[in-house]
Amino acid sequence: MSRIPPRARFGLVLLVGLGLLSLIAGRLFPDVLSSTCPLGMDPTRPDRTVCELAFGGLWVSLAVGLAAGALSTLIGLTVAAVARLSGGTGEQLILRAVDAVFALPDVLVVMVLQLAGQSLSDAGQAGGLGPFGLMVASLALVGWAGPARMFRNRLATLEAQEYVTAARALGGGGAHLLRVHLWPALRPFALAVFLSRLPAAILTESTVSFFGIARMEPMSLGRYLGTSYAALIYEGGGRVVLPAWALLVLLVLGASLASQALSATPRRAA
Amino acid sequence: MRAIAQRLARQLVLVPVVAVASYFLMAALPLTTETDAKRQVSKELAASYQRDLGIGEPLGFLRPWEKLFRGERLGTSAQGITGDELLLKLSGSVGVGLMALPLALAWALGFALLRTRWRRGRWAALGDAVPAVAFGTPVFIPALLLAPAVVERGHMLPELCAALVTSVWPGIFLGTLVGDALETELSRDYVRTALGKGLAQGTVLRRHVLPNVWPALLDAVGPVATSLLAGSFAAERVFGLPYFGQLYVLAVLNKQVAVVVVATTTFASLLVFVSLAVEVLRYVVDPRSREATA
Repeated sequence: MSRIPPRARFGLVLLVGLGLLSLIAGRLFPDVLSSTCPLGMDPTRPDRTVCELAFGGLWVSLAVGLAAGALSTLIGLTVAAVARLSGGTGEQLILRAVDAVFALPDVLVVMVLQLAGQSLSDAGQAGGLGPFGLMVASLALVGWAGPARMFRNRLATLEAQEYVTAARALGGGGAHLLRVHLWPALRPFALAVFLSRLPAAILTESTVSFFGIARMEPMSLGRYLGTSYAALIYEGGGRVVLPAWALLVLLVLGASLASQALSATPRRAA
Repeated sequence: MRAIAQRLARQLVLVPVVAVASYFLMAALPLTTETDAKRQVSKELAASYQRDLGIGEPLGFLRPWEKLFRGERLGTSAQGITGDELLLKLSGSVGVGLMALPLALAWALGFALLRTRWRRGRWAALGDAVPAVAFGTPVFIPALLLAPAVVERGHMLPELCAALVTSVWPGIFLGTLVGDALETELSRDYVRTALGKGLAQGTVLRRHVLPNVWPALLDAVGPVATSLLAGSFAAERVFGLPYFGQLYVLAVLNKQVAVVVVATTTFASLLVFVSLAVEVLRYVVDPRSREATA
């Protein structure tokens, strides 16, 4: 823990704190939250308090972000490893495909994938994926290109190190090098990449849910904001939007700080 | 020039790839009206789905484009679109994006200068907090806060506000990059030499430092243009602007699949056009780019 930079530590504490808070307040003891909420009832859902909806939404957004971030990091890592192992033209082709996916805006592609997924779901062909699974799958299918590029570049840098050259000269194959020599050096970077995907996934989900395209139930922060913005027309409507926004900002701040600090941390020589 | 042509060719490949991929994805959707129990879409919409996508026909993936070029309507009569309407809506969104671009550059320059100043003082933490807050604020939140005051006013005020809220995050992102590049350049020997020879600080910045910072700025303009255009989707929805973003969201919500195919491909083409513009600008502005491609 002492090797973790202060900014990363602050970001991680913020993330874990928000996660625990949303778990305790939004999932384990929602009754306590509903009876003590200082922000009152939600104007569009008079049976629920603003705190219940905001913390419940935080929990859902965090769960979507964690699952989608982990899945897209895993896909990106696999693609990068396959690209490095294939080398030459194979690697160039994979990189062009990665660039093509990377060039498209996340929100637009997630909307199209949600349309496709929901149509399959309506026809009973979604393979058991509910709205949560559909959203995670859509975000992962969009978000893997960035991690793939980052992992591929980091792998290329690591492969130029002397200890890798020595292992290769001693007869180590591609898969062996990757598993035994490169992965330990790649692990902290993978954590940083995962944390960098977390806010991107949460924000994309929020925007798509805000449009009313995703059918997330219980509601995520984005869907909550998307369904309750009519409250702003009335006096004091800010109390509905501002807490959810603040939670979203804190979530992204935590993940961004942790990710930036971890990816910038110089590796200590073994 | 060859390197630029290669880059462009790579970008251009994106357009047919997106056109074909989005067509086959949409054509594979099980939109069915076979039985009442399974009915997910109206009969009119299902008919337009078959008709517009040319399902089962050879070269069916060209059908939406043929219809557009013939001036026919894609989708259902109420929510469909013609080629002229598509261009009009696209020009509206591009207009909002063009209004947002100078605003983003203004944010970028302002934030870069402030960040350079903050770094030396007790406000250093703000250099990290401001980008995080800007990134963590989806476009629709400031748009929601502004919307009640401006939606009914007209006179381009909703468009200007849409451009303003869309420009914040890309501007701060650009500012972070420019700030870092500025700091790196300011610490170089040539700056010390120029200052030592008696040039004013502003002159050194304008004549020596900024020309070296432009390439970093241009590198980021592509992703920034993407986020400006994508951000305008949310802003258009909140401010009720009847442009491309609104069209796209409604097409997805109403399952106007042919419109989705055409709009997705059009958007990808727009991104390719932006990349082309950035490459040309880089060629003009950055002498190192000309030398590298000579």
